[in-house]
Amino acid sequence: MTAASPLPKAAAAPATGARLLVETLEALGVEVVFGYPGGAIMPVYDALTAARFKHVLVRHEQAAAFAADAYARVTGKCGVCLATSGPGATNLVTGIANAMMDSVPMVAITGNVASPLMGTDAFQEIDILGVTLPIVKHSWIVRDPNDIPAILQEAFYTATSGRPGPVLIDLPKDVQVSAAAAPRDFNPPLEQTRRIDPAQLRRAESAIGAAERPLLYIGGGVRIANAVEDVRAFAEATGIPAVSTLQGLGVLGPDWPGHLGMLGMHGLRAANEAVQQSDLLIVLGARFDDRATGKLTEFAPHARIIHIDVDAAEIDKLRHAHVPITGDLKTVLAALKPRKPAIETWRAQCEAAIAAHAFDYNAPGDGVYAPALLNALSQAAGDAFVAACDVGQHQMWAAQHCRFASPSAHLTSGGLGAMGYGLPAGIGAKLARPDAHVVTISGDGSFAMNIQELATLRRYNIPLKIVLLDNSMLGLVRQWQELFFEQNYSEVDLSDNPDFASVATAFGIEAFRITKREDVEAGIARLLAAPGPCLAHVLINPMENVWPLVPPGKSNTEMMHGAAR
Amino acid sequence: MTETFTIQIDRAEGSLQRLIGLIERRGFHIDRMTLADTGAHREVRLAIRPRDNSRSCDVLGRQIDRLIGVRRIAPAPASNAFAEEASVCPA
Repeated sequence: MTAASPLPKAAAAPATGARLLVETLEALGVEVVFGYPGGAIMPVYDALTAARFKHVLVRHEQAAAFAADAYARVTGKCGVCLATSGPGATNLVTGIANAMMDSVPMVAITGNVASPLMGTDAFQEIDILGVTLPIVKHSWIVRDPNDIPAILQEAFYTATSGRPGPVLIDLPKDVQVSAAAAPRDFNPPLEQTRRIDPAQLRRAESAIGAAERPLLYIGGGVRIANAVEDVRAFAEATGIPAVSTLQGLGVLGPDWPGHLGMLGMHGLRAANEAVQQSDLLIVLGARFDDRATGKLTEFAPHARIIHIDVDAAEIDKLRHAHVPITGDLKTVLAALKPRKPAIETWRAQCEAAIAAHAFDYNAPGDGVYAPALLNALSQAAGDAFVAACDVGQHQMWAAQHCRFASPSAHLTSGGLGAMGYGLPAGIGAKLARPDAHVVTISGDGSFAMNIQELATLRRYNIPLKIVLLDNSMLGLVRQWQELFFEQNYSEVDLSDNPDFASVATAFGIEAFRITKREDVEAGIARLLAAPGPCLAHVLINPMENVWPLVPPGKSNTEMMHGAAR
Repeated sequence: MTETFTIQIDRAEGSLQRLIGLIERRGFHIDRMTLADTGAHREVRLAIRPRDNSRSCDVLGRQIDRLIGVRRIAPAPASNAFAEEASVCPA
């Protein structure tokens, strides 16, 4: 977003800081703000009643940040969340961290106590600028109401430019009520087109042309750079097989010839083996996260690395790049013209591995097998499917078994791994894409962390669909305790969960239960056809595990497999 | 292995905290530091040392460089890295 829109100017009676904030958000084209009022942000809420954008009242500030995050991931615009000082501000923290870890553009606005009280331990006073320093791209305390337009414009510019991320604006109460007689604007810096080093481009072309076992390593940066079509064209033109990170899923669909699927801890064996055999990794907007690489020193041991990233600080952070290319991915791919490598044998080997290691959806018994349900759900929803996942076994099953038409169809807390993301993220996504089949995929542990947002669904009648996979366990922790802690099950039993269908009904949300495999197909059809919000409470085997699995700290070659139970 | 950087940062609220916090969070000790006012900006001179061999000063330099309030970062020549009287944070 640039600051090109017409800007609010003080009229005869100068606007207050709060009014100026609302007018500037309008001028910046904001369509929806997720928030929750409180004492130190009341002047802004007073001004909000006249706002031309929608305010969505959540029931916990963490949900405001998560919803804004998902709204941003789906639209590519900046998400906006609003909270009061003290606990309101600290409740945003997990959501801000989530946006930082996954490079999501977000503007978080907090009220604070009046300037003279700041630093005195006043009621509901927290140094939220200090608290959030490690998890924001930048932040400001507004000291003069005349600075509000400039700071907001700079905040939106900062959040969305380069590698995106969250920013925070802290607004003391006296600044909100003071008159702004001479508001100032922000002059964005001239667009600096970073020159892409032609020598590195030529080296990359040479390396690609000569490679025998090249592999694309596709990360979340592809979606952020809006380069999905460019990567597809590059993959098609060169014929190079590919693996994807959790955030890169959907760039190349599961049916893309030569796409080996997700790599890493819960990746596919075909993908991990290809990485280990590769002689050239072409890294596109990925950052060698430990969940993707496993034991780093044993990751892709034979591969030279071409690392393309807009963020120069990612180059060499974890793995040395033989060919470092810093720049916008679209621009880089447009300039990269390698000759097609002669890799027919390698391609055939990859395609054979894909077929050999395809998932098997047969499971014993007549209970619901979650991987099969999720696969069927995404097939039924088709290209309109958008998944807002929570964190745990269901998240990994969704990544492994759902089909995503694009990376923005898969909303998942990848970097932070924040339980509680799914429901508010589903709200943000459904508001952003009312035409889509947005489905929150959650587990019983995660769902309870932001269950109060069922009230937000009801209030706005948002037709979000929820698949709650209930194993009455903290399933992924239980799985690790089974495998790595000698079955010493510690604090993972949630068998005293409430009846989630009844809870949803009490919130005024349609709900039903799926307990048997034979009911899955009809249940999915009912869920997707429901006109309003709807929850499917799915009971699954508490002892089911996510396979394959690379044990923590081990090489990706040491994958464990197990049978469905 | 100690490296010294000279960094120009905006005179903005939180800019110093932001810089120092980043360096420690990314796995470096700050052994010495001076702060000077150069008018429009602040000039910070820092001697830093990685906590372990896996930390790269080059990568840290780029992480500092991407901070919004950082205007310039350069390695400081060892010969005049610090004026003794200006040390505000001795080792």
